[in-house]
Amino acid sequence: MRKAYSDKFIIFLMVLLIAFALFLQISTIKSTEKLKNDEIKRAEQYASKIAKLIQVRGKNNLEATLTENPELRKHLNESLHAFLTKQYQYIFVLEKNEKGKYRFLLDASEEEPAEYKSIFFPKSELFDSVYASQKMQIIEQYEGVEEVWLSLVYPIVSDNKTEALLVLDLSESYGEHLNKFNSPLMTVVWMMQVLLILSIVLLVYLLNRYSKLRKILLFDTLTSAHTKVFLEEFFNRHEVDAYNVILIDMDEFAQINNKYGYASGDSVIKEFSATIMRIVSAGSKLIRTGGTEFLVLVPKTESDFEGLVKKLFGTLQEKKYLLENEVFDQKVSMSAMITPEGKASIHDVQRILDKKLLEIKSKGKNAFGLLGLDHFDQMNYGNMDYIKEALEEERLVCVYQPIFHTQTKKIVKYEALVRLVDKEKKEKLISPAHFMDVIKGTSQYIKMSKLVFKNVFSVLHTYPEIEISVNLDLDDLYNADMMKLITEELYRYKHIANRLTFEILEDHEIHNYEQVALIFQQLKTFGSKIAIDDFGSGYANYVYLIKLDVDILKIDGQLIQELLYAPERTSVMLESIKDLAEAYQYKVVAEFVSSREIYEMVKALEIEYVQGFYLGEPKLIEAYIDTE
Amino acid sequence: MYHGIFSALSSKAMVSVYTDDPEYREVFAASKRIFLSKTPEEADIILITNRSTLRYMLNRNKVNQNVEKPVLFVTNYQFLKYSEDIVGAFYWRKGRSQLLFVKKRLEQQAIQLPEAYHNFMIDEL
Repeated sequence: MRKAYSDKFIIFLMVLLIAFALFLQISTIKSTEKLKNDEIKRAEQYASKIAKLIQVRGKNNLEATLTENPELRKHLNESLHAFLTKQYQYIFVLEKNEKGKYRFLLDASEEEPAEYKSIFFPKSELFDSVYASQKMQIIEQYEGVEEVWLSLVYPIVSDNKTEALLVLDLSESYGEHLNKFNSPLMTVVWMMQVLLILSIVLLVYLLNRYSKLRKILLFDTLTSAHTKVFLEEFFNRHEVDAYNVILIDMDEFAQINNKYGYASGDSVIKEFSATIMRIVSAGSKLIRTGGTEFLVLVPKTESDFEGLVKKLFGTLQEKKYLLENEVFDQKVSMSAMITPEGKASIHDVQRILDKKLLEIKSKGKNAFGLLGLDHFDQMNYGNMDYIKEALEEERLVCVYQPIFHTQTKKIVKYEALVRLVDKEKKEKLISPAHFMDVIKGTSQYIKMSKLVFKNVFSVLHTYPEIEISVNLDLDDLYNADMMKLITEELYRYKHIANRLTFEILEDHEIHNYEQVALIFQQLKTFGSKIAIDDFGSGYANYVYLIKLDVDILKIDGQLIQELLYAPERTSVMLESIKDLAEAYQYKVVAEFVSSREIYEMVKALEIEYVQGFYLGEPKLIEAYIDTE
Repeated sequence: MYHGIFSALSSKAMVSVYTDDPEYREVFAASKRIFLSKTPEEADIILITNRSTLRYMLNRNKVNQNVEKPVLFVTNYQFLKYSEDIVGAFYWRKGRSQLLFVKKRLEQQAIQLPEAYHNFMIDEL
């Protein structure tokens, strides 16, 4: 988009410069013309005065008066001479006789003056025209005339009869002087125009080069498919939701390169892309997004997208390639997506398709997956921008799952579980499974934790009878920002911090127990408790019980679920955990109690606390408090 | 232009011209249709550009009255007044080229000009 604007700006600038140069040229020409016209007007005024003088002295018959009076002729010639300046080359008076020939009556020149009544051929028919019309005329320089720029021919009229013509010849040198008056400016204008022409030539040259470079940038030289740059540009101009998208990747292509060499590999890629182009419509766009990865944009105006995807997958799978007399086929993995209206960017779509393709590849490759509209929403929840926006708008809630006393079925505590609220459907809550991995280790995670603590402490403050546990990742304890936040929050709410339990969940082994023990001490400063989550599975092992000061063991849900399939063996295991906990004076919670059957078994094992969907789903705290 | 004038005066396509003016000689030497004569006697036209040549030619005409005389043509209006033998002139006046022929003198020498030149013929000076 920026490029399009800059192109328009350059064109606008060029047009502006051309307009300015033309304006300057026209102005200069007009200015010169004005100078000339002013001079002509002045000459007209002179001519009018001289004509009056001659008329007065001519006494209604100029020729006769002058013939009779040589002294008057001399006097008038001298008078005319007074008007001769550098502007006027010649001033003279002509009469036209009955045979139509012109003869001199007066001549202002002192040097070689024309003899009285000597013949003169004016070389222009306009003299006759002035004689007949009795209207002054300007005669421009014509063939056979030298040293004269313009001739102003003024009729001397008496009693409605043209008696003579007064001729004022404006000198050629003066005309040139007027023309040159604006010549420096004109030179600038010419130079500017030359520079402009050169600039335009340069611009055309650059545009030509640019279009060639652009072609290289937008088209893949090997396959003639479009490049990633094209993809960016294309969606600057088009809406993503106008296209359905297919992502295709050639499976295990490296083997071809290794076995037959890169040149052969290239020929296979070329043939592969040509096959795609043959199948998809002319309105579709094929983009090579990686070495063996292609993106196909299919206009939504084309029906049966699913049919096309199947056809494409089938054709590409069945396609045979011939290399060094060996025929082989090339397996492909594909993910395709019907894009939702309005809200997706091409990056979102690519990310979703990539993820789906990865999933297909991890499940054995050589398959395709078609994603529907609902999939987009779910995938969108994993978009960092989406999460960021949600946190900025504080679209976050905590739901609380109750923990019961097993025997009495009384709620003793709640586990706070974070949820994001869907941007459009406010009643829809987004599970951390969609976003937690994306934001862990980022500033958004801290931001989210802050909101969770705010919510939890608010609930603790509002309901002084209840206890709440919150989940903490082991990595959080090593994170300085996170620990700062927790200690600050604990200090701020120190009077109610004793009703808070931290459930520690770890996805890797603890290497420095002393450090963790120290952190646990910090967390327990104001009476908070520590629970080990998922005890009995993964890294949550018995060493904890020796090295760390904990309060509660939450038995891993998978172990509890095993009660359904291997009740006796699982019961032995659970009983041993229970006995161990009692020995250490830890409380024990059984998670994932999802059915009455499990509940009864856990109850029989006399595990003190239970938690699970059978007894209570995660809900807003008000739902449980009101029930109570 | 000179070829046109001289050709009209001599009624010849190839005109022999005499002039002692070096500038004119150079001009005529370059013409394919004007033959530059070395002597006045051999010329169809004599072009007079200065006063001394004018005097010489007029004296020569008086001496050789019975001999066929070349046509005299001048480049100065004033020269026309010196002799009735001069038929015409080409000169510059007020920045304009002036070509004229004296009608009576042409008639005396039985010269008939093409119609294109009639506008340049005058009855008297």
